[in-house]
Amino acid sequence: MALPTLTERPKRILTVRAKPTAGRLARYYPYFLIAPAAILTIVFLVYPVGSVFYFSLQHSNVTQPWKDGFAGLDNFIALGSDPLFWRSLSFTAQWVVVEVGLQFVFGLALALLINKTFIGRGIARALVFSPWAVSGILTTTIWILIYNPSTGIGRYLADIGIGEYGTSFLAGDTTFWAVVLAELWKGIPFFAILILADLQSVSLELYESANVDGAGKIRQFTSITWPHIRQAVIIATLLRAVWEFNNVDLLYTLTGGGPASATTTLPLYVAQTAIHDRDFGYGSALTVVAFVILTFFSLIYLRVTKTKGDDK
Amino acid sequence: MKRDRELASRQMRRKKNVSTVVGIALASTLALSGCGGASGEAAADGEDVVLELWDTDTRPERTENLKTLIDMFEKENPGITVNYLGLPTDSYMQKISTAIATKSTPDLVTPKASDIAALVAQDALEPIDEQFDDGGWNDKISPAMTESSKAASPDGKLYLTPATSLADVIYYRADLFAAAGLEAPATWDDFYTAADTLTDRSTGQFGYTIRGGAGFFPQFVEMVYPKAGVDTFFRKDGTSTLDDPKVIKAAEEYAALYDVNTAQSDLTADFKTMVAQFGAGGTAMLSHSIGSYPSHVAALGADAVEGVAPFPADDGSTILTGWMTTGFSMFKNSENKEAAWKFLEFTMGAEGNSFWAEKSGYLPGNLEVADEPWVTENQPMQSALAAAAQPDAVLLQQPYYLPEFNAITTTDLLPEWQRVLQGDLTVKEFLTAAAASLTEAQQEYLGK
Repeated sequence: MALPTLTERPKRILTVRAKPTAGRLARYYPYFLIAPAAILTIVFLVYPVGSVFYFSLQHSNVTQPWKDGFAGLDNFIALGSDPLFWRSLSFTAQWVVVEVGLQFVFGLALALLINKTFIGRGIARALVFSPWAVSGILTTTIWILIYNPSTGIGRYLADIGIGEYGTSFLAGDTTFWAVVLAELWKGIPFFAILILADLQSVSLELYESANVDGAGKIRQFTSITWPHIRQAVIIATLLRAVWEFNNVDLLYTLTGGGPASATTTLPLYVAQTAIHDRDFGYGSALTVVAFVILTFFSLIYLRVTKTKGDDK
Repeated sequence: MKRDRELASRQMRRKKNVSTVVGIALASTLALSGCGGASGEAAADGEDVVLELWDTDTRPERTENLKTLIDMFEKENPGITVNYLGLPTDSYMQKISTAIATKSTPDLVTPKASDIAALVAQDALEPIDEQFDDGGWNDKISPAMTESSKAASPDGKLYLTPATSLADVIYYRADLFAAAGLEAPATWDDFYTAADTLTDRSTGQFGYTIRGGAGFFPQFVEMVYPKAGVDTFFRKDGTSTLDDPKVIKAAEEYAALYDVNTAQSDLTADFKTMVAQFGAGGTAMLSHSIGSYPSHVAALGADAVEGVAPFPADDGSTILTGWMTTGFSMFKNSENKEAAWKFLEFTMGAEGNSFWAEKSGYLPGNLEVADEPWVTENQPMQSALAAAAQPDAVLLQQPYYLPEFNAITTTDLLPEWQRVLQGDLTVKEFLTAAAASLTEAQQEYLGK
């Protein structure tokens, strides 16, 4: 066997040198795969969120461009003395607690009810869920007609001597509960759908065994039903809390945030400031505050409701 | 092993989340790519020119009329096509601001006088003083309207064609007045007496409808300043007259109508609600501009509705309110400025101006059109013109040139006005705070 000369390259060496290139490619291959997703996420998520943080530190009002420039914390300091900010924050807290609380209670009751076996259950379920399928604007239209002082419920009540003509439930002390009712109409089915989906996975044998053991209805609920639906309730509550916090469509179209800012949520105030008044600097500062509040409470909520294992 | 499974599971979840985000992002991109559109493409010589026109008021009858106006223009100007796009009345500035930021503005737009300051601040509109002067329009168009149009801009230039103008009137149900034995109101005392007399809460009949909701400020000015006899928004030292004792007194009387001679639901009433209430017969009087006259006639008939200009003040002076120019503007980024100017000219010329003003219920800017029968036979319009013809009449100009004016009178003042109507704030407190805001804006403007 002839030995290789000094100028010849043994095949083995070639093979050994080729390996690192293939290895590098193999190592970076996953990054190539996730690159499109990562780029899109950066473009459509990180950049917009980053922009909001950036603009919150700027004076940026398209109607007064000569004032544009670095603001430092001015926008955040101005929040402290802005009565509309505090009013909207207070209303947002009230709105979220009342809405989510009532939607949960009624949604749970409704889910337990339509989980029973009875004639026409399919139709009942379809009717219960139908408000959820209605668009936000259509929901508003329905409730505007209901509350219309000339043609709505107020008119009919006045006809039978209850209340006065020309009275609107959206213009006075009743405004809060009037908008709460409109949102409940749409929000309750959401809770009912999620809870019902979990309820249907509960084995009937568990209830039969509990019956045999002499457990009452309340005990059956706390020991069987609740552990099964707990996770669904946590997710539904968190989602609804975030959605209700960010509610703009129903309140904007139903009351415009009024009267006297009585139904202005923080995001609605953001919309008024940034979109109507075109003050993007201050509007961004309001958005940052909303972002921080939502993140903080979501983390707290998930921490508090964390379970060691699956309850089911 | 268990840890590996958990890790794999977490990675799967992350992948799912990323996929969801990417999916949404892609869907958004696809959806967005279908929206918007190029505008103002310059036409090469000999090719047809396409103008993009954005309208900021999409009431169906107006849209129909504007499309007819465009047809008339296109027939007279073969080779120029105008594409109409109606923007939502309550959010058109959002679309326009986005277009300005992305340099995708159309050629033409129909801004309100109150929008001019914001658009000029963004350097978005093309001044048309030169073409206006060169075209000899100073002799053909009402000088008062031209002046009013220039007054709406912060730099005093002409951006909005003085094609038409609004003017405030108080509409009243002539049939209800006659049935109650009341004469047509001629003084403020007559007005307040009629409001009281024609209110019957047990049947849902109210003497007046007050604008408590969006756009309350113009009605407030119409009903307060003429009665107070105050003819300017700012004193010579640049302070607001909103806290003038005479203004406060007149405003207190006006606010006292709420929930006494008006429906409780008026707390949130906007333009559409008021007009619907008046048209349905639920209220006997309404303050609005001459522009809504065709709607009232359509709903009630010409015999049942009449309009009078706001009455003289207690001291006899006549203050004119709501004389706001309504017209068309050209965007600075238009690549078809020559064709766009032709359209603007058409809206000021006799044919276009007559059609557009009559159908819209506006006062025509063209002096020749002002003598046409449809103007001389329009009762509320004649009442407004008669008031303007008074020797001592003074036109109250609202400070639309202030960039903050819109934000102050809507976002800031609307909730406070509603608190006044609800009794949570006194008129004096409200007007003192409002005056301070406007004074600050004016001082800044003067010092700029």
